[in-house]
Parts: sequence; structure tokens; C-alpha cells
Amino acid sequence: MRTLAIETATAACSVALLDDDRVLADLHEVVGRGHAERLVPMISELPDGGRADRIVVDCGPGSFTGVRVGLAAARALGLAWGVPVHGYSSLALLAAAALDEAGAPDRVAAALIGGHGELFVQSFAASPFRPAGNLASLKPEEAAAATSEALVIGSGAQSLIDARRTGGARDILPRASDVRHLPAEFAALAATPIYGRAPDARPQA
Amino acid sequence: MTLILGLESSCDETAAALVTGERRILAHRLAGQEAAHRPFGGVVPEIAARAHVEMLTPLVAAALDDAGIALDAVDAIAATAGPGLIGGVMVGLVTGKALALATGKPLVAVNHLEGHALSPRLADPELGFPYMLLLVSGGHCQLLFVEGVGRYRRLATTIDDAAGEAFDKTAKLLGLGFPGGPAVEQAARAGDPRAVPLPRPLIGSQEPHFSFAGLKSAVLRARDAGLHRAEDIAASFQQAVVDCLIDRTRRALAVSPRATALVVAGGVAANGAVRSALQRLAQERDIPFSAPPLWLCTDNAAMIAWAGCERYREGLIDTLDAPARARWPLDPTAEKARGAGVKA
Ligand SMILES: Nc1ncnc2c1ncn2[C@@H]1O[C@H](COP(=O)(O)OP(=O)(O)OP(=O)(O)O)[C@@H](O)[C@H]1O
Ligand SMILES: [Mg+2]
Repeated sequence: MRTLAIETATAACSVALLDDDRVLADLHEVVGRGHAERLVPMISELPDGGRADRIVVDCGPGSFTGVRVGLAAARALGLAWGVPVHGYSSLALLAAAALDEAGAPDRVAAALIGGHGELFVQSFAASPFRPAGNLASLKPEEAAAATSEALVIGSGAQSLIDARRTGGARDILPRASDVRHLPAEFAALAATPIYGRAPDARPQA
Repeated sequence: MTLILGLESSCDETAAALVTGERRILAHRLAGQEAAHRPFGGVVPEIAARAHVEMLTPLVAAALDDAGIALDAVDAIAATAGPGLIGGVMVGLVTGKALALATGKPLVAVNHLEGHALSPRLADPELGFPYMLLLVSGGHCQLLFVEGVGRYRRLATTIDDAAGEAFDKTAKLLGLGFPGGPAVEQAARAGDPRAVPLPRPLIGSQEPHFSFAGLKSAVLRARDAGLHRAEDIAASFQQAVVDCLIDRTRRALAVSPRATALVVAGGVAANGAVRSALQRLAQERDIPFSAPPLWLCTDNAAMIAWAGCERYREGLIDTLDAPARARWPLDPTAEKARGAGVKA
């Protein structure tokens, strides 16, 4: 079973083609805001133009624009190829990859830079892999108070650790080929954005 | 037979359409977002982008279904690549790129303004080049000398607000609701266009451009004076806009004797008073007048598919790294007009 994984929720633009859990090809670039330009050319550079039996895509939370670019591509490819499209959480992906490493702790918190100086944060536990708390968008101090995991990963890890003053931060970007670490049920979400925050707009008085 | 799939998502309409080189519109689907933006009194970019990503692929599927056509049967995929609200533009452009990759068909990255500019040719097989185009929409008010596909000379632009923006702001000031253009036109039907004295900025001016900001301020003063009915203000405002558009267009025609037709496009071209005044101007100059049907004036995907078709036939296709652009003038060589606040 071939899977195309699309990861655009952060500054990374990352795609991978997998045969079950085996990575056939893996392209990963740090593009900042350039996903709309780079994503589809990168998919086209995969074997068979990325052709797969299913597509999994990062639904967020993360960059609103990046998430939409990934979903737009995934849904369009799903329509054109007639294959199913499913989603996964950016925080779950980071956590699943970290918890699978040799010598990993049995819990980890994932933190991504969100909007308005806030972080998207969620804690996860291993064996079996599962969330150990709910997703929240928090100020770094609130995030520090809400997490007890020694290891924090993701683009927001350092500012959480700075606020908490204990534990270690690992600033890593999610990578498409890491979907192989996600248990099946965590890569079976509806292919729709997880924004984690409402739009910034106030109705007229 | 050329068959093009068109995608549009640059503002607050999500749309997909299938159009042939013989001007047959095999399907056109459109999901407006008026209800979602109404509480905010204008288009909220983040709300628009959220709706586009939900709606676009289902609309493509529905359009293909309506036409009874398989995606593989299209010759090219045309998607708006700008100008517009960048979050929405990215959704449509990336959808188009992915469809192009999956089908192996070329991508045509369409300038939304070129969609408007060529839309009269979709409706009117007689309309040839070169023509004088008044492009009047929510974000633009320009006079363009259209020499051919991709060949535009900008003769005039607004130095402040676009004409559609003036309609929208007037509607807001008069409490007529959102979107403003149709609401003002409706109210104007019950009003007297001579009731309220309003300025006609730049009329008779030597410079070729448009200006509507002063008119909007005058509407505000007229409202606050409390002497006039909203209908009369609406009718007088609409008349002032028409007078400005006609004066500036007459001037442009006078310096462009090669124009074989007078053409109007963009959302404000749906306005009956604007259309009939332009029609009279064309008669006066003894050239044909062409305007798309009302539904083709405001944003839609049929015009994007058609512009894609015209470009595809000339070999103007794009690569999968084509950029999404918030700004993208049709005539990049045009001098910057004084003033700002316009997308191109
Ligand atoms: N009957 C009408 N009379 C006057 N204005 C109208 C009418 N119908 C629509 N409009 C105006 O047309 C505009 C919408 O047109 P359109 O959809 O072409 O603009 P846009 O796509 O928002 O802007 P642009 O094309 O410049 O990016 C709005 O400002 C609206 O008020
Ligand atoms: Mg428009």
C-alpha cells in the first residue's frame, strides 16, 4: 500500500512516498512561506509523480496558510487519483517520532509557534502512543505551567522551556516521512484543518 | 475542441467552471461567502481562506459531474494566481497545480484581472482586438487598451478608491447592507439622482485618472446633514459615479482612435445605470458596445477558464512553481499613479 505524505504545517515543506512503513522517497526543505510554490513541484519529483493509493496530510495546528496549501494539494490529488485522503495532527507527528527514538522518555510535550505570541501545545505518552492532554493555544508562561514533560519538542519548545526554566527543548520541524511512526488511527482524521484558534476578526458593533 | 477547467478563489467567491474554446460553458459552480462575512461588514481574509479550502474541491467535483466529463478530458487547468487575498489565491492555485500534476495537463496561472478583461469575449463572439476596456470592480477602476491576450496598456487608474469600493462604502454609510453595489443600485431606483449635490472628482481633468474618495466623504456629509432620504443619496451617488466613469472613458477613447469597441467588465459592470451610460457613449462614438451578462461581471470561474483557454491557445502555459501574487498589474510598465490603496 503506497502512501503519499504531505507536511506543510510549519516552515518546512516536506513530502514522502512510503510503501507501508518503508520510506521510498523523502524530500524536505525549509521554505518559510514558500509552500504554494514548492509543494507541488516537490511531489512531482517523487517516484511516479507521488502516485499513491492513499494520501495523508498534516491538518495542523501550525501555519494556517501552510496547512491550507497542504490540504488543497492533498484533496485535489485525492480527487484526481480517486484515492482517500486523511489527516494527522502536526503535534502528534512530532511526538510520535520523538517517542519512537531509542532511549526516549515515556512522555513528551510538543509545542509549535502559533499566533499572537502563543504556542500550540499538547502532551503525549508512549506504549501505546496516545495524547496525554488536550490541544491548547497558550502564552509561553501558561504553556510552561500546563506541561510537566522534561522533553519539549517543536518550534515553540525553546520559548516554553525558557518560561519554565527546567527541562530540555528540541527545536525540530515535522517531517513527512515520520508518518510511519504514527499508529494508523492517528493518521485517519478527516482531511480538514485543525486551526486551534478562531480567525482574528470582530463583528461590527 | 479545447476544454478548460477554471478555478477562482481570490476574494470571497469559490468557483469552478468548465468552458470550451467554442464559448460553451459546460458547467459553472460558485459558492459565495456573503453570509460568513456580513457580520463584519466586509470580507475578512482569514474567514475567506478557511471557506475556500473547504469548498473548492467539492465544487470541482460537482462541475465535472454537471458536465458529465472526466477530469482527464480537459486540455488544461486554469487557476487564478492573483491579484487578490493571498490565502485564498494560494488555495486555488495549489489546487490547480495538483490537478495539473495528477492529470499531466498544463497549468495556466491566470491573472484575475485578465479574467475580467477577456470575459466580454466569452459572451460576445464578435468582439475582436483592440478594444477599450473599462475595468470596474471591487479592487480596481482602470481604463485599459486591450491589444490582445496578455497585451494591456493601462491608460488610467484610480488614485484612491476603486469604483466598487465606493459603492460598498456608500452602502455601509447609508446602512444598506453588504455587499454594497446591488444594494445601492436597488435603493437608487427609488431615489432622485439630482436631489443631492455631490462632487465629480477629476472630471474634465487633464490627467487621465479616476478618484472616488472625495465622493465618499461627500456622501458621509450628506447623510449627517439629515436633509436627504437614503434613496436620494444613493441615486445621486450612483449618478456621480456614472458621470465620472463616462468623462474619463470619453477622454480615453479620444486618444485611442484604434479602439474597435467599448467594453466594460468587473463587478460594477453589473450596474444598469453604468451599462446604459456606456452604451450611449459607444453610440456617440459610433463603435460597438460589449458587456458580459450580469453573472459574468462579478467573480466567477467561467471567466478564469475562458482566459485560460485564450492563453492556452497561444501557448501561454505555466510551470508548477508559478507564484501566488497578492499584487499583479495587467500592465507592469504603467507609471505609478499618485495615491495608493489599490491592488494594481
Ligand atoms: N449592481 C451593482 N452596482 C454597482 N456595483 C456593483 C454591482 N454589483 C456588484 N458591484 C460591485 O462589484 C464589486 C465586486 O466585483 P468583483 O467581484 O469583480 O470585485 P472583486 O473581485 O472583489 O475585486 P477585483 O476583481 O478588483 O479583485 C463590489 O464592490 C460590488 O459592490
Ligand atoms: Mg473580481
